[in-house]
Amino acid sequence: MSKDTKNLRPRDISRDVAVLSPTDDLKPLPSTFDASLEPEFKEFKEEWADTYCASLDGFVAIDTLKRPETKEEEEEFIRKFLAGLEKLFQDSNKNAIQPLALNMEFCAKCNTCSEACHIYEESNGDEIYRPSFRVDVLRRIYKKYFTSSGKMLGSLVGADVDLTWESIARLAELSYRCNLCRRCAQACPLGLDNGLAAREIRKIFSQEMGIAPKAIHEKGTELQLKVGSTTGLTTPAFIDTAEFIEEDIEERTGRAFKFPMDKEGADILLIHNAGEFIAWPDNPAAFAILLDEAGVDYTLSSEMCAYDGVNYGAWYDDVQAKKIAAKQFEVAKKLGVKRIVMGECGHAHKAIAVSADRMFAAEDKVPVESFLPLMLTLVREGRLKFDPSKNNFPVTLHDPCNYVRQMGIVQPQREIIRACTTDFREMTPHGVDNYCCGGGSGFAIMSNQNFADFRNHVSARKKLEQIINAFGDDFENPDVLKYVCAPCSNCKGTIRELLKDYKLTEKYNVQYSGLVELMVNALVSMEKPFFEFL
Amino acid sequence: MASIASIFALLAIAGFLILSAVKFAKYSKFNQHSRFDLYPVPKEGNGRGEYGGSYMEEDLWWEKPRSIDHAAELVDMGKEMFFIRKLFINQPSLWFPSMFFHGGIYFMMLFSVLLLVTAFVPSPVLETITATVAVFGFGFGTAGALMLLARRATDASLSAYTTPVEYFNLILVASTLITGIISWLSAANVFEVARSIVTFNFTELPAIVVVHLILLGIMLLYIPASKMGHYVGKFFTFHSVMWNNDPNLPGSSVNSAVKASNAAGATVKWGAPHISPAPAPEPEPIAEEA
Repeated sequence: MSKDTKNLRPRDISRDVAVLSPTDDLKPLPSTFDASLEPEFKEFKEEWADTYCASLDGFVAIDTLKRPETKEEEEEFIRKFLAGLEKLFQDSNKNAIQPLALNMEFCAKCNTCSEACHIYEESNGDEIYRPSFRVDVLRRIYKKYFTSSGKMLGSLVGADVDLTWESIARLAELSYRCNLCRRCAQACPLGLDNGLAAREIRKIFSQEMGIAPKAIHEKGTELQLKVGSTTGLTTPAFIDTAEFIEEDIEERTGRAFKFPMDKEGADILLIHNAGEFIAWPDNPAAFAILLDEAGVDYTLSSEMCAYDGVNYGAWYDDVQAKKIAAKQFEVAKKLGVKRIVMGECGHAHKAIAVSADRMFAAEDKVPVESFLPLMLTLVREGRLKFDPSKNNFPVTLHDPCNYVRQMGIVQPQREIIRACTTDFREMTPHGVDNYCCGGGSGFAIMSNQNFADFRNHVSARKKLEQIINAFGDDFENPDVLKYVCAPCSNCKGTIRELLKDYKLTEKYNVQYSGLVELMVNALVSMEKPFFEFL
Repeated sequence: MASIASIFALLAIAGFLILSAVKFAKYSKFNQHSRFDLYPVPKEGNGRGEYGGSYMEEDLWWEKPRSIDHAAELVDMGKEMFFIRKLFINQPSLWFPSMFFHGGIYFMMLFSVLLLVTAFVPSPVLETITATVAVFGFGFGTAGALMLLARRATDASLSAYTTPVEYFNLILVASTLITGIISWLSAANVFEVARSIVTFNFTELPAIVVVHLILLGIMLLYIPASKMGHYVGKFFTFHSVMWNNDPNLPGSSVNSAVKASNAAGATVKWGAPHISPAPAPEPEPIAEEA
């Protein structure tokens, strides 16, 4: 990495170079990990650069951001971008205008946010990954085109970014180099939120220009609104899958259960991330076993969007987020449940419990809570009885950002883990100071072109480091089974890829799964181990 | 000239207060927005504020009385306002000059109030206290401004982001303070000048004092209009954004505001195809058969 790219200025976003800041100087992993196991980067294909914007750091996140073919197309692109930027500060954006306007006006440029960012840290301080870099680019464009001081004084007040397709596209790509974990906002002495501002940049491209990664828009929110789930599962397919899981788990563990479906008047509508039914069927099965054992009156729904709790709109588009949340509340109202309980999915928690809280009148909603306090109540009331010795291996907990930093749910999961395991080891740091898994804000499901490399090598690197360090001397010993508890589908997906690509399971015997699986494995009433790796 | 400078300084004090209020009003009208809770939220009761917990750690939280710890919130606010705690924790090397700078400003505010009192209530004891506060205010403020200026100019990671006007901000504050130091140490008696100004009994003033008063007036009017008006912004970032986690429940003020906001709608609409689809083309007219 040359000093030249380490010392970029925000206005350099429009610099005429093939790649503004190549990602080629990453922080070394802890010495207990065999560095030779680190996977290679995928070979770069020139056609990506010809078609998309690969000129930021050599990665491509947005596979719908195509290069213009004519000057007129470029001019139209710039015009639409400016129209979208202006709308961020009009009543079209009244749900976020205050925090964004505060950020535009008051940032002291102290860069205190930088050290809080895992991506900046793990890239060994690449300037473009500072949380303040992308927002300062936006601020300079905003000043130049929409403030009187910028129009009159120009570069004296920082209104100095040249707009071209390349500079705007790089800004779009930069908005997808942030996990939206908001750890930077926690550190800001002025309380400004560069994570939130990164999402606002994504909104310009999605809400005004119709540009967003296919994985989260076309194959995400659009697919969910069309068929009911981002997995593509339709209602009949979902019901079939649920029935298959019932049979499969009974065959494997001897434990019979049924998923209650569309039960009107139940106390709880339990909504899972539908990806669990496909990728980790043990998870919804574990929920069913626990709730059955505790005698909880609950139901699943087979209706559109209510058998899939995900809401990718939370990452990039307010309008899509609202449409999905509206359908989920509509189903809960129709079933007449008293509450919605969200399963192990962090962003789905925040989307419906926090982000959607002020989208609708209270009368049009149903109260929402996390599965964590519900499970803790069942544990405290003795309705779930554990034999912690069944989980007699080191367990560490990954805190999904959405539970802790963005909802303040910190202790229930810890109390549960202590009740059902014998060797709980906290990561450093943890709780509200945790680091993102690296898959937050859509990265976990974005693997187009070479973007999985950015996730696995850069954004998830800090989590990998934390996992390795959490197990101390036991990490290197493959005879000691080690368990990473990741109670969130997206985090779990990211950690799955890390363990596979870096051979942590194969060489070091590091396993992963959620919280409810750990609970079921410790149930006194379970005759066989629930985990296949035991 | 002296009387003009004196009147300008007086008007600038009023202008500072009015412009700050205008800025406060500007951000107040945006108060109803989505929730952007960011924990720890110190007002969360039952000890939760300490570790970052919230009422959402409770099963059936909406049926239970909410515990809010106002004292903890005040203590946290105090630490942030007076000691810039987040900067101390997250970037101690910058905290030192920043604390000097802000501490100096706080002393200068106290100095201004005391100066006003001495103008109407002459007291040698009070004047001694006021002068002592002034030493701290001018000393810390000037040192802080110069240290911040030097750091910003020499630290590449800061200078890359710093615009010319942001250097100007620090230079303006430093110049005001330095001319103040020179004025009150060598050119005039601050108590006599203050008394003459607030009683509208203007007298001739040395040139350096006139310069100081004009710079003071410019600075007071400029601060609320610039990013140095972040004392207004910080109120909203903490209370209206990060710590505003009041749930939208039936009968709550949040619910009323949500209903009002939804009823008002938006005058500007986003243009992406999934939000504003292009109108369907007009059907071709069917030609009537002859």
